[in-house]
Amino acid sequence: MELGPIFRAMLKAKAGYILIALQIAVTMTIMVNAIAIMQEKNDAIARESGMDEANTFAFSSTSFEPDADMRSLVEEDLDTIRNLPGVRSAVASNSYPLRQGGWSEGLQLEPDANSSDSIGSAIYFVDEHGVDSFGATIIDGQNFTPNQVSFKDPESNTWPAYGIVTEALAKELFPEEQTSVVGKTIYLGDNDPINIVAVIDRLQAPWQSWTGVERSMLIPQRRLGTYQTYIVRTEPGYRDELMPQVEELLANSNKGRIIRSMTTMDHVRMRAYLDESAMVTMLTFIVTLLVIITGLGIVGLASFNVSRRTRQIGIRRALGANKFAIMRYFMVENFIVSSVGIATGGILAVLLNILMVNAFGLQPLSWYVIPIAMLVLWLVGQIAVAGPARRASNITPAIATRSG
Amino acid sequence: MLKMKSVSKTYRTDMVETHALREFSLTVGEGEFVSVTGPSGSGKTTFLNIAGMLEELTSGTYELDGKDISSLNDRERSKVRNEKIGFIFQSFNLIPELDVFDNVDVPLRYRGFNAGERRRRIEKCLDMVGLMSRIKHYPGQLSGGQQQRVAIARALAGEPRFLLADEPTGNLDTNMAESVLDLLSEINTSGTTIIMVTHELTLADRAKRNIFVRDGQVSDGPPELHFAAAANA
Repeated sequence: MELGPIFRAMLKAKAGYILIALQIAVTMTIMVNAIAIMQEKNDAIARESGMDEANTFAFSSTSFEPDADMRSLVEEDLDTIRNLPGVRSAVASNSYPLRQGGWSEGLQLEPDANSSDSIGSAIYFVDEHGVDSFGATIIDGQNFTPNQVSFKDPESNTWPAYGIVTEALAKELFPEEQTSVVGKTIYLGDNDPINIVAVIDRLQAPWQSWTGVERSMLIPQRRLGTYQTYIVRTEPGYRDELMPQVEELLANSNKGRIIRSMTTMDHVRMRAYLDESAMVTMLTFIVTLLVIITGLGIVGLASFNVSRRTRQIGIRRALGANKFAIMRYFMVENFIVSSVGIATGGILAVLLNILMVNAFGLQPLSWYVIPIAMLVLWLVGQIAVAGPARRASNITPAIATRSG
Repeated sequence: MLKMKSVSKTYRTDMVETHALREFSLTVGEGEFVSVTGPSGSGKTTFLNIAGMLEELTSGTYELDGKDISSLNDRERSKVRNEKIGFIFQSFNLIPELDVFDNVDVPLRYRGFNAGERRRRIEKCLDMVGLMSRIKHYPGQLSGGQQQRVAIARALAGEPRFLLADEPTGNLDTNMAESVLDLLSEINTSGTTIIMVTHELTLADRAKRNIFVRDGQVSDGPPELHFAAAANA
């Protein structure tokens, strides 16, 4: 290897190399942090809501009859839906994960505690079909019984004495608890006691960007407002077929209401993470563009060097360098430039990441991002230089005897 | 040890076909100091390029140390060039970004010698050409004569069997040219075969044998005779 002479020769004409190394450093810095942001967004997008999203759809029903018996109407609707072939479960609730709108309450371990000590949680009003309709799994305790389900006017402010909490909420409420939290009492608002009857594995809050997104509680209560949200979980493969069927059946069963917002959970997820997806797409584009520009910069510098050193290459060939040795020369030269740029970029990337973590709460870099980025840029450099290096290797050694 | 038989070299473009060498035959024995003269465009440099394996011949055979080298691939040709042939060029052809040490080191690295062996050879050759004190200088910091001496050290460092010199004094003043020629004679005396292409009769006189090339063909004999004949033609 000619590492020493190549490096010393580069020092004699360093301006071009420094510029390319800087370009690589900037690309590395931006690329690493863009990957960190993309990773954070992708992790968020990939988080499971806890629902059986592939087989679930939701819609709303708005009754415009002033004296409508909402309790009977909802019961009839649910009976109709649940009896359809292919429907696994259905529930009327106030919201569902990723919907962006919902109900939240502060939960406390003691009554009349300072509100600053409370832990925020999303509240889903359901009946005994709630757990199955959402697709959650009870990991401790028992589901609500029909007797525990209460009905109330939207204006009243009474709470049932039971609740099912997500595992994340249970851990937040009882961080020291090593055994079951089933049977424990928590307080909603100021002093409404709620007895935890079960813990479910996961059910996200409706607000996916909320830091407490994993904290949710199911409450066995049906709120009898004119606006109802239905969540229908089907057997695998029935969802698309059942959606128009349900819409038609319910619309025909009662002309005094409007069925709206019939939507699959896939669509809800797509809409909820639209900003994140757009950000990932944009950053991917920027990083790709930067890498391409850097690659072109390397091609440009290498091509310039090949043209500038045509005679020198011929001399080297005359002195015994074979084609591979000439290619290797340019590859090694590029490797040195890339290494300097990548090392500088690595340091800058970490510094920028620290800044972003402190300023914007970005996740710290994963340990493997920098090695991967290094590898990519080294590879891009070698691919970019391969063409000019190949051209250089084809320069005839006879050029050494030409005058000039 | 160098044997060319009926070697032809033809350059072809879309429009023109140029015969640089025609049925060129020559044998150069071990330890000879041969000058190759001839008018411009006679084929001297083409001969040198083919002898030095810098170009491939179009037809004929070329044997070096009894081995037919016309069928070798690039890697093999480069290896033979590196091990058996040393080049001295008119314009020195040193690499401007490398100092004297690294310039002489270039062919040795391709040879695969270890660092210690390379240093020993470089220092020995630079000492021989009287430039040890300039070992860290760059070509731009040396005179023409010194640069050519570095080029000679580079050519000799691999201990080649042949030294091919292309107008080695063409860019030097008379004094420097003399000292370079003295050096070449000394090298030849130590056993290295030298083939020197030149258009200067005074330089050709320093060789033990003269070859005259005209229209891509070769003839032995004193160059003056041939130049006179060429002038009268």
